[in-house]
Amino acid sequence: MAKKINLEMSAVENREMRLGTIIGWDGPASTLVKESNYIERSQRFEGIKTSGCAGGCGSKKACKLCELNSPLNQQTMCANAIVECQIGNITDCILIQHAPIGCSGDNPWFNLAFNMGLSRRNKPPQALKIYSTNLLESDMVFGASDKLRRTCRTVFEREHPKAIFISMACATAIIGEDIDSIADEMENELGIPVVPLHCEGFRSKHWSTGFDVSQHGVVRQIVNKNPVKQKDLINIVALWGTDYFTPLLKPLGLRVNYMIDMASFDELRQASEAVATATFCNTLGSYMATALEQEYGVPQIDAPQPYGFKGTDEWLRAVAHVVGKDDIIEDYIKSEHERVLPKVNELREKFKGVKGFVMTGSAYAHGLITVLRELGIDVDGSIVFHHDPIYDGAGVHQNTLEELVNTYGDIKNYTVSKTEAYQLSNIFNRIEKPDFVIIRHQGLAPEAAKLGIPALAMGDEHIPVGYDGLIRTGEIILDIMARKKFNRVLSRHIELPYTDWWLSQSDPFLLSHDPKALDKVVPLENSVDYEDELDEAV
Amino acid sequence: MTLENQTSAVKKKEKHDEAIVHSHYACTVGAAYSVAAIKGAVPIANCGPGCMYKQFFFLSFDNGFQGTAGVSGGNIPSANVGENDIVFGGSKKLDDLIKASIGVVKGDLFVVLTGCSGELVGDDVGSVVRKYQQNGYPVVYADTGGFKGSNLDGHELVVNAIIDQFVGSYNGPKEAGLVNLWLETPYFNQNWRGDYLEMVRILRASGFKVNVLFGPESGGVSEWKNIPKADFNLLISAWNGLKIVKHLEKKYKQRYLHVPILPIGEEATTAFIRQVVEFAGIDKTKSEKFIREESKIYYYFLEHFSNFFSEYWYGLPAKFATVTNSTDNLALTKFLSDQIGLIPVKQIITDNPPDDVRDKLRTIYSNLGEDISLDVEFHEDGYKVEDSLKKTDFGNGVPLILASSWESDVARELKALLIEVGTPSTETLIINRSFIGYRGALSLIERIYSQAVGGK
Repeated sequence: MAKKINLEMSAVENREMRLGTIIGWDGPASTLVKESNYIERSQRFEGIKTSGCAGGCGSKKACKLCELNSPLNQQTMCANAIVECQIGNITDCILIQHAPIGCSGDNPWFNLAFNMGLSRRNKPPQALKIYSTNLLESDMVFGASDKLRRTCRTVFEREHPKAIFISMACATAIIGEDIDSIADEMENELGIPVVPLHCEGFRSKHWSTGFDVSQHGVVRQIVNKNPVKQKDLINIVALWGTDYFTPLLKPLGLRVNYMIDMASFDELRQASEAVATATFCNTLGSYMATALEQEYGVPQIDAPQPYGFKGTDEWLRAVAHVVGKDDIIEDYIKSEHERVLPKVNELREKFKGVKGFVMTGSAYAHGLITVLRELGIDVDGSIVFHHDPIYDGAGVHQNTLEELVNTYGDIKNYTVSKTEAYQLSNIFNRIEKPDFVIIRHQGLAPEAAKLGIPALAMGDEHIPVGYDGLIRTGEIILDIMARKKFNRVLSRHIELPYTDWWLSQSDPFLLSHDPKALDKVVPLENSVDYEDELDEAV
Repeated sequence: MTLENQTSAVKKKEKHDEAIVHSHYACTVGAAYSVAAIKGAVPIANCGPGCMYKQFFFLSFDNGFQGTAGVSGGNIPSANVGENDIVFGGSKKLDDLIKASIGVVKGDLFVVLTGCSGELVGDDVGSVVRKYQQNGYPVVYADTGGFKGSNLDGHELVVNAIIDQFVGSYNGPKEAGLVNLWLETPYFNQNWRGDYLEMVRILRASGFKVNVLFGPESGGVSEWKNIPKADFNLLISAWNGLKIVKHLEKKYKQRYLHVPILPIGEEATTAFIRQVVEFAGIDKTKSEKFIREESKIYYYFLEHFSNFFSEYWYGLPAKFATVTNSTDNLALTKFLSDQIGLIPVKQIITDNPPDDVRDKLRTIYSNLGEDISLDVEFHEDGYKVEDSLKKTDFGNGVPLILASSWESDVARELKALLIEVGTPSTETLIINRSFIGYRGALSLIERIYSQAVGGK
């Protein structure tokens, strides 16, 4: 079998190259399922030759999805920020950002998340400690390798970390800092793992490559290369969520090893010793699960994600099968259904006629929409920040979008777009306004707020997971919908920051579909022909 | 000695921290939030994808959850520079972005800020922007690569770019009594919105007409167009903004008054008003009447407070430390030591003031008030801040530490009262809050002593 993940290299192959990830698309979800061609892609992953890609964009670019490019983008996250929120949240290792100080600007945000997560997992509070090499103009001219070496030594002396990670930034990548060699050198000098992370922001068009970069570094240099199997240990690749997996997996006699946030060095190290790897979100966890499977034979759970009744049933069955507990799982599932169903039915009654809308990363959105539809909430449209036509696992039962569409029906207006708030007014021009939105990442909720729509900021990712996730999510949504009062006040008095011309459009991708539309709105004389300049440059 | 060390040895006599943990400032391109503080102005980030995200958290969300207005609340148009733009140049992408931003985002002024990538690759941003300027669109640009310094440096760079490229030249007359107000660094100084309200109130009541350039009462870019007409520039800030008022002095032959200590409390505010009125040479009748009225109100409240302060049986903090930017540090230290009688035991400045102003700041601290002569420390590295706090003798009482969220570990260790006064602040919500002038001083007292008696 062909190796899916190349751990020989210190750098990760980008998601767009590896998986065919796109960040611009608009249409019915069922169409995207077809165009994604999951089965043929997974065959290619396994090294099987296929005849071509039926849904590919254009004849030459086999298997490439059609992608909408917009001239207007708004600020987003980047892979470097993702590495902060992953590697920076390990309790006894230190991340060094080899970068100017601005790259550390979101440290306080992840400090908040870290401490929230520590308390959810019953660990003591501690301030996040991410170091910056604090590069200045002279470093851009003369290079900053010595600064990085000195920072590694300072960190080692001060903090006594179990490992040091070094992250690359746009500036250091452009000036050609060789963090691989320095990491090697410092690893020898200090006697602890020193892990280079190639996560410069310009590297990938989607920040989720940063998850892969973080996990790549952990699997390459932290996990135990001579594992001693722990038969009751299951890896759950997670973020900061409350520990709902322990009660969910308790009947199977499993202990949960959460990765990467709030984990210690030793917890990460034992990942290769676990009996299986699973996750609450394939976007996040698939790379790690696949790498551990490939290198250490830790099987990944090939099942739908654990959301709603069907997904949770099948996920539990798959876990039970891996740990040889098929015999007890059906009774457990049955009793869980009986336990939660009365409350879920009560909630379904309350949600009659309610419309919801999800705006999150992709596989997680599939889980959230599942939960909403189980609760009887209509979902006519949603935004996912990217679409992976396949995940690294490429498992038969891991096609999350298809699973959603086949089980719960199509989503008419399914938009792939990377936190582009300016599109929201147009998106809500063409469908009936939802009663609430569920969001992750920043920027979209405040914009929806001004349109009169309250947002559930799903900061605790595990809220919707499992059978109880239906109840937890339903109850929070009721609380959030009450806020509509506030949002109506806002929408009565606060202007949207966009031009009347734009607000009157109903196509969120007008600028992609009709690039000339702007010429009338922003007339210009003497426009520059960049094609010529580009030709010359090449 | 390497070439790198030689250069720095020539330029720097002050000691600067190299590696930094727990930074208390953002980078140059954080000046996007100075643009965001101007009503009707839209920042356009010619930056990598994460740059604005990071600045937003540092300056707004994680700085008292200030939020923002318009697209600046986490939705700044951004080139999200990618690999192709690095290899082939990003001019075309930037051009398309500016055009689309003008078409889609409401704005009276668009400010293109170029970050590390664009600067290092050497995109000719000027020529892209000039095309829009020549077509009559209000677009300006500034080179704000993050390696150039902090958001405070960026603030001066960007404001001067707006003055040069948008406000433009002026040869007309100056208007007596009209003052350009430069107060604090927007968003970075977390109370800036409330402080602007209080300061504008004070100045207007004292007989001035005020060009309000930032904040809730600003008329937006039209006030910026009026900058050259003002009689003088009033800079109330420890040091940030000096490059702006000096630039204006040169450009429009406009004089300036620099007040490094933000006035807090009646005595300081009254002295401040008299200083500005004297400098401007306007009639004193109005200001003196205002001073009388405000003083009566202030002491009416202070008398009430003194009941609590004199006979609270259960102990109150006596010794305090300040860990924050120069402007807030100076103002808070002066008021608490000179007016309340708290004992300053550690003052740490965290915003990396330029070398040439550090000695001036030291001088101010050494003569802060009657019998108040203090040493001040400058640290950029949070480790040194925390280390210094740990070594501070706070005596028997509960230490009072006015600092940021980064100092929460050390505050816990010292069993101190931590009051967040600077970025990052993630246990404080700030909407309309001011600790300056007559009214703000009372809020500051409330804030400190609510926490001291066990509230939050």
